Amino acid sequence: MNQLSPTPTTGSKPIAAARVGIGGPVGSGKTAMVERLIPALLNRGIDIAVITNDLVTAEDAERVRRSGLIDPARVSAVEAGACPHTVIREDPTLNIEAADELERRFPGVELILLESGGDNLASTFSRDLTDFWMFVIDVAGGDDIPRKRGPGVIRSDLLVINKTDLAPHVGVNLERMHQEAKSVRSGRPVLLTNCRKGEGIEAVVDLIEREVLFRA
Amino acid sequence: MFDPAAALALLQYGDSAFPAGGFAFSWGIEGLAADGMLETVEHLDRFIADHLVHRWQTMDRVLLRRAWFSPDLEAVAATDRLAEASTLAAEMREGSHRAGRALLGVAVKLGGPLAITYRQMVSADPRLGHLPVVQAVAWRDAGLTLEAAELVSGWTLVTGLVSAATRLGIIGHIEGQRSLVNARSVLSEVLAEVPDADAVPSSFTPLIDIAVARGPSRHVRMFAT
Repeated sequence: MNQLSPTPTTGSKPIAAARVGIGGPVGSGKTAMVERLIPALLNRGIDIAVITNDLVTAEDAERVRRSGLIDPARVSAVEAGACPHTVIREDPTLNIEAADELERRFPGVELILLESGGDNLASTFSRDLTDFWMFVIDVAGGDDIPRKRGPGVIRSDLLVINKTDLAPHVGVNLERMHQEAKSVRSGRPVLLTNCRKGEGIEAVVDLIEREVLFRA
Repeated sequence: MFDPAAALALLQYGDSAFPAGGFAFSWGIEGLAADGMLETVEHLDRFIADHLVHRWQTMDRVLLRRAWFSPDLEAVAATDRLAEASTLAAEMREGSHRAGRALLGVAVKLGGPLAITYRQMVSADPRLGHLPVVQAVAWRDAGLTLEAAELVSGWTLVTGLVSAATRLGIIGHIEGQRSLVNARSVLSEVLAEVPDADAVPSSFTPLIDIAVARGPSRHVRMFAT
C-alpha cells in the first residue's frame, strides 16, 4: 500500500451546493421556517434538499418528509448524540457527509438547508459546514434575548425574529426588540417573520438569493 | 522509550474531540439503557469489556489489521466487503458505514493520499467504508504505526461509550473516569493478544447486536446506533 499513488480525477468537478444553516432555541420556529422556505425557494426555481438534526426523535425530519412540499428522499436526518452544538460546530462531519451524499444523489442540487436541533443562544455553525447561517428566535421567548448577546444573535449571517404575531399577547414591544437586535449586530441583517402565516418569508428568500446564490 | 512526537499524535487522533462523528454513536448503550439493562457504572464496565473482548478484538481489530497489511487499495476494498458480509445486523452495518465514511471524509480534507483515492472507491460502491477498514487507511495516511492505530481504534471506542453513557445520565463524570481506568486495563490485556495473521473476523455480542438492531423502532432516539 505504500507504493500507491493517488488516482487522478478526470473531468470537471460539479459546483457544490450552497449550504445554509438554520439554528435557534427549541420552539422558535426553525422547522416552520424550513416548511415556508421550501415552497418559496422551489417557486424561484432553486433546486434544494434538507437535513434536520433532531435531538431526541426523528420528528422534524418526518414532519418535513410528510409535508408534501418536497421529495422525501431529499430530506436526511442526522442524529445529534445529545450534542446539538457539537454536531454543527466542533464535529460537523456527519452533517457534511449527509450533505455530500445528497449532492451525490441529486447532482443538480443548488442549496441545502441544515436545520439544527433546538439549542440555546450559544450555538454557532462551523464555517466548514455552512456557507451562511441564520439564527431564529421568537418574540415569545422574551424580548431580552437580543440584549443577552449570545453568539447566535450577534454572529449569525441573518437573525430572524419569528412569531411576530404573538408580540401583543406576550407583552413584547416588537419595534424595540427589533431595534435592540440591530444594535448588537454591527450592521448584519435582522428580519421579522410570522412563519405561521408566511409573513416575511419572501424577504428571507431574497436575502438568500442575493447573499448565498449571488443572484440579483 | 517515550517518544513525545508519537505520544502527541496518539493524543490528537485518540482525542474524543477529533472530529469524526464518534459522539453520535452509542453502539448499543442507548438501547440497553432504554430497556433497563444498563443502569449502573458496573453494568457499563461489563458492557465495555464485552465490546472490547467479544467484538473489537475479534472483529474490528482483525479487519483493521487485514486492511493495514493489504498490498493495494483493491485488497483494502476486499476487506471492506468482508466487513459488510460479516456484520449480521443491518443497523450495525449502517453504523459502521456512517462512522467510517465520516472518518474518511475528515482524512480526505486533511489531505491523506490513500484516503483521497479510497474515497473515490467508496463513493462508487455502497458496501465500502466500514470503520475499522477506514481507520487503517486514515491512520496510515496520518503516519501512525500499526500498534498505535490499534490502540487508537480501541481507545476511541472506549471513550465514545463512556461519553455516551455520561450524556445519557447513566453515570456521572467521575464515574466515567473510573470506567476509563477500568477499560484501560481490559484494553491493555486485549492488545497484548495479537490476532493470527489468518484470523477471520467474528463477534459474539448478541445483546449489543439486538440493542443496536432495535434502534430504528424506538421513538426516542438520540444516537445513530
